[in-house]
Amino acid sequence: MAIKIKKIERKKMPFLERIYIFYIIAGMARTFKHFIRNLLNTKNIEFLEYPEQKPEDISPRYRGLHRLTKYDNGELKCVACDMCATACPAKCIFIEACEVPNSKEKAPKVFNIDLLECVFCGLCVEACPKDAIRMDSGIFTKVEGSKDSFISDINELSSRKRGEF
Amino acid sequence: MSEIWLIIFRIAFILIFILALIPVLVLLERKISAFIQDRPGPNRANIAGIRLGGLVQALADALKLAIKEDFTPAAIRSKALFTIAPMVLFLMSTLTIAVIPFSEYFTIDGVKHLMQAIPFDGGMLWYLGFASLSIYGIMLAGWSSNNKYSLLGSLRAASGAISYEIPLGLAVVSMIITYNSISLNDFVIAQQGSFLGLPSWGIFIQPLAAIIFIICAFAETNRAPFDLAEGESEIVAGYHLEYSAMSFAMFFMAEYIAMTAMSALIVTIFFGGYSLPYLSQASLAANYEIVLLSIAGVATIFGLLFIWWVSKNNVTRYKINKDHRKKENIIYYALTIVIVAIIDIISLYFYGNLGEFGAEIVATAVNLIVFALKTFIVLLVFIWVRWTLPRFRYDQIQRLGWEKLMPLAILNIIITALVVVYGN
Repeated sequence: MAIKIKKIERKKMPFLERIYIFYIIAGMARTFKHFIRNLLNTKNIEFLEYPEQKPEDISPRYRGLHRLTKYDNGELKCVACDMCATACPAKCIFIEACEVPNSKEKAPKVFNIDLLECVFCGLCVEACPKDAIRMDSGIFTKVEGSKDSFISDINELSSRKRGEF
Repeated sequence: MSEIWLIIFRIAFILIFILALIPVLVLLERKISAFIQDRPGPNRANIAGIRLGGLVQALADALKLAIKEDFTPAAIRSKALFTIAPMVLFLMSTLTIAVIPFSEYFTIDGVKHLMQAIPFDGGMLWYLGFASLSIYGIMLAGWSSNNKYSLLGSLRAASGAISYEIPLGLAVVSMIITYNSISLNDFVIAQQGSFLGLPSWGIFIQPLAAIIFIICAFAETNRAPFDLAEGESEIVAGYHLEYSAMSFAMFFMAEYIAMTAMSALIVTIFFGGYSLPYLSQASLAANYEIVLLSIAGVATIFGLLFIWWVSKNNVTRYKINKDHRKKENIIYYALTIVIVAIIDIISLYFYGNLGEFGAEIVATAVNLIVFALKTFIVLLVFIWVRWTLPRFRYDQIQRLGWEKLMPLAILNIIITALVVVYGN
């Protein structure tokens, strides 16, 4: 197969463009218009004052902080199968299982997620066979003072609701 | 004895002028860039709810840089050169502004004084000399860092400085021929007349020299679009890559000082320096009562404008129970009213009862204010250009300097010389 060669003819720049100075002045006029418009009325700037104002247009597919889902009777769906911890590329999920009396299945005793390690890839959600872990909490930032408080434990994870900010 | 005190006063005044401008310029750089790009800019850091429009953020940054660890990498070539490089740059940038005249001569006990830190008639040569020496700071920093990117950054800065120093000097030569002196004060005095109805400023007499000089001024102070020395995408950061904390901050303080000095020089050569158009020092001193009245009037108008702007723009945009900005605005209003009242009372107190000496002091003060305002406007243009034009490529910069600006500057000298010799 022959190589197709396409020749692009470069147009010579007109004289006004080649001496730059008038186009620089035009560009500066454009930025100055923005500057003056925003200086005279700062309400023209569209922005959220973040901690006080929250975004409202987040898609439902957005991956927020994790939460553990429950059955209607309040029991956790998680069976401590370790699938999420295995799938996790950042190795940030730590599960300890315990046996449930009168049942074939296990339950998590410890379910910790180290949010400083987590890359929010969503693979744990994909891996879960029981639909027990989700990332639809809608919480997109977590501000804390110490490293320890970034480890979410089982109580914190299971008490989160869907779509709460 | 009073001679020495006057010298100390002049040096202190000019030093305070440039050093106090640094945080203001940092804030302005951030605010202007924000407004140009349609975002609000720094508006969070505060002391007891008072933000000063973001100035507290600049103070916080300065505090952070001051208390950070000044880390010196083990791989550097020479500890001594590494340490003095920012100091060299800082010192040379500071020295360049020493010869700029800030106001006309004023007479004390029959001796004439000029508001110039170092009374030196060859001001232009002093300026060019120290402006070119300041590149040594960058070169020492890049070489002693023992880092290829730093070295590349400083080499680029040095080559840029050399290629733009020549058209800069040639543009100045044509102005020297026009004004027939190398003393910066003579430049200003020569611009006090009028020329074809316009004030006889350098930019109207020699527009080509003005354009060449201003373009070279951007390259000389290492500002965008000629900031070859920096370049995050090509050379990581440039000559200041290995520096931290205050020695890193000194490079940026030096850049802002060099920018202030260059703006002052541009104002002195091309925009009439400290003089108001059509008005000389003598006529200001003779009509000092009108001057005082107009100072009071302008201060009042600006105070009212500021209050209007704050009441319109410094408002909270979301629902909140305890609005801090309302408290903040009340403090701003009070401060503005107090400052305007002080200026008005002082101006009106001296109205009609000043001697010849007092009138001269008033005229000198007007010159200082005019010079500061003009410098400030040119500084705003420096910042405005930075946020409009992208950085030029290295070969484009070299071609512009050597192939375009230098022949133009030489042509300008020839035309100027012909006009000066045969025109009159």
